[in-house]
Amino acid sequence: MQAKAKAFNPQIFLELLCYSVFAGLMLYLLDSGKYLSYVTPRMEPYLYFTAIVMGIWVFIGLGRLFQPQHKMRSAHCYVLAIPILLLLLPHSPLSTSDFSASNGGSALSGPNSYSPAPKQAPSADSGSDDSAPGSTDPAEDFSSAAPEYTADLPGLDVKNQKITVANDDFSIWLSEIYMNMEKYKGYTVVMTGFVFKDHEMIEQDEFVPARLMMSCCVADLAPAGLLCKYDKASELKAESWVTVEGTLSIGQYEYDGVQYDEPQINVRKIMPAEAVEGYVYPY
Amino acid sequence: MALPVYVVTGFLDAGKTTFLNKLLNRRDWRETRIIVVQFETGEEEFHSRYDNCEHIAFPKKILEQQSQQIVEQIRDRILSGEFDEIWIEWNGVVPFSQLQALLLHPPLRSLCQIQKVMHIADAMNIENLLGRTGNALPEQIASSDFAVVRNDGYSAKAYSRVRRLLRGINPGVKIYQVNSDLYKQLFEKKERPVKNFFRIIVLLIILYLMVKPVLEMLQIPVNTIVNVFLGIILQAFPFLLIGVLLSSAIQIFIPQSAVERRFPKTMGLGMLVAIIGGFCFPVCDCASIPVFRSLVRKGIPLAAAVTFMAAAPVINPVVILSTYYAFGGNWAIVAGRVVFGIIAAVIIGLTFVVWAPRGNVLSGGVLDRLMCSCGCYQDAESITTFREKADLFMRHSQAEFFSVGKYLVIGTFIASLFQVLGTGIFTAAQSGAQLAVSILIMMAMAFSLSLCSSSDAAVARSFASQFPLGAIMGFMIFGPMMDIKNVMMLSAGFSRPFIVRLLFTAFIVCFAVVFIVFGGGGT
Repeated sequence: MQAKAKAFNPQIFLELLCYSVFAGLMLYLLDSGKYLSYVTPRMEPYLYFTAIVMGIWVFIGLGRLFQPQHKMRSAHCYVLAIPILLLLLPHSPLSTSDFSASNGGSALSGPNSYSPAPKQAPSADSGSDDSAPGSTDPAEDFSSAAPEYTADLPGLDVKNQKITVANDDFSIWLSEIYMNMEKYKGYTVVMTGFVFKDHEMIEQDEFVPARLMMSCCVADLAPAGLLCKYDKASELKAESWVTVEGTLSIGQYEYDGVQYDEPQINVRKIMPAEAVEGYVYPY
Repeated sequence: MALPVYVVTGFLDAGKTTFLNKLLNRRDWRETRIIVVQFETGEEEFHSRYDNCEHIAFPKKILEQQSQQIVEQIRDRILSGEFDEIWIEWNGVVPFSQLQALLLHPPLRSLCQIQKVMHIADAMNIENLLGRTGNALPEQIASSDFAVVRNDGYSAKAYSRVRRLLRGINPGVKIYQVNSDLYKQLFEKKERPVKNFFRIIVLLIILYLMVKPVLEMLQIPVNTIVNVFLGIILQAFPFLLIGVLLSSAIQIFIPQSAVERRFPKTMGLGMLVAIIGGFCFPVCDCASIPVFRSLVRKGIPLAAAVTFMAAAPVINPVVILSTYYAFGGNWAIVAGRVVFGIIAAVIIGLTFVVWAPRGNVLSGGVLDRLMCSCGCYQDAESITTFREKADLFMRHSQAEFFSVGKYLVIGTFIASLFQVLGTGIFTAAQSGAQLAVSILIMMAMAFSLSLCSSSDAAVARSFASQFPLGAIMGFMIFGPMMDIKNVMMLSAGFSRPFIVRLLFTAFIVCFAVVFIVFGGGGT
């Protein structure tokens, strides 16, 4: 067949096909932002690099497309074909329920009807003008500012000792608060997350308004957030989305026989919130 | 209808003509009319017992200077009568691709086509010949559909070594002894790997769509496994690419003599260079393994290369930074990871000084040092122009990408299964365990999860509530050095005893370092 087909080389063709489909898929994932379901934004330049190298390989390979070859191989192309197939075949990004279920965390989900909001809402709502928790507007106002500078941290109101954590700034604030817990002690914090309760680590009156945090790739996806002290924590339904408001304090946890400080929130108010799409990425 | 062409390749004195005499003079073939074309005349001459074979021979000189004449002669011969087959005995020192080019000349192109290519090898000589006689021989072996090994009174062990050698050059090739019946091999339909490839792809799609719902009904989180698999792959491929590009560059652009001259002669300095090199190499373990392989091939002392491979993924700046963040700015843990990582890497390297491994650690043996086992048959030292080198560089990196990538994909798949289904086993085993046991558990977990070294700190942190610090440290030092993915990738280039030894040495050393520091300190 090879000889008849004017020495067209199917193996090279197959390799080029794999390179170009893979490169195309990378560009598509980057362009649509879907790569964020698998890896962190830090990988963006590396994925471009991958697409470019594959593109160069295609370009150079074109010269060999009509090089005769007797012994054909194809098995090596599965290295690219299998990831391509899995990327294209239907699957959905991991969600909070995937996570809690695999952790057995959902076993703790308490009384199902959770509605503390009506009880507490009247006291506070209209007062704070700038805090519309759950909306990302504050973040967009500040997004041009470099997040490293404490003065420019989005949602920080030093005068009123209040931190409104927009959904896009979740991880910035998480590390900022961890790093400088003394500085923010006594501040009011507003943040949104899903109720995460890990029965092995967490007391009855505790929960974490968590977001799924990806440090490197989807393999290390894990809930992250600040521990909240809340009397009725057991009434909160696991995996439901809430916006918490409370005061930052410094608590302790014991690890390996040593007491460590960690920031905690003493919850004053809890409101149900819209589920937030996407993961958060540290640094 | 094109005449089928059967080609016999093999080095001078491999027994090509003897083989043809035996095969073509079989009684049951006497009705088959055959043209025999010889491009080499050895000691034995071809003779046709039943007069069914017409015989032409071309000396090598004509082949080099007047190929057009050869094409015309063969064409005239084909047109001069009714024939069933053409058998070609090809010259042992001329690349097979030249024969293909001959047969693709316009007049011959429509008259005949290559059906099967077999390679005849003499078990006695082939090991010596390979690597010394240029590119033609490995290229011929790689292009053959099957190989026939002549094995006169050679030991079974040597025979199996020859088989491995041939398979190293032409993976999966079928190998027969001279006396076996080749009839089926010769006339069975030609395989169509590329067509099969697409068939299998379609099958895989159907399988995925049908099996996924079933497995999910059985509570197996296929979706999670797919996500984790893709996450690791997308994470690892760019680094693998960097690794193979770097490693190919080392292989092709840096002459071996320069490496041997420049690299420090004393062990201490060598180790220091290895560690600084590891620090300056801010990529994860997927990239360090191909580079490790090419360093060894370029003649860097094994101990230094091992130290580099063990240290690079633990101590580079990316890893330091991610550890710092994962542990909330705890410098003690960061420093511990770097220091113990360096100590362990140096000790692992030193074991290879004290007990130098016998034999060749690279799997291809002698051959591998002279040319890569990846289908590029020019050896890097013999080509000189930059263009050729650049071209070889590209092909070399592609071949290496596929050969290491294969193991990366398999390793990642196993690791993603473990990650999704297996962590419970480890945490369950932990309850109430001693420090030593905890360290072992965490190290075993690091091995089977095969995390990328720039991300494992975050995962280690998530286990911090259930495991003591010593165990976490074991996880963070051993994991980057050795895991399923890495062992898989190592097996693309190293001999099995070496990999096993490296794995166990790394395991024992990491365990000992961590246990002495954390167990001795008294918690």
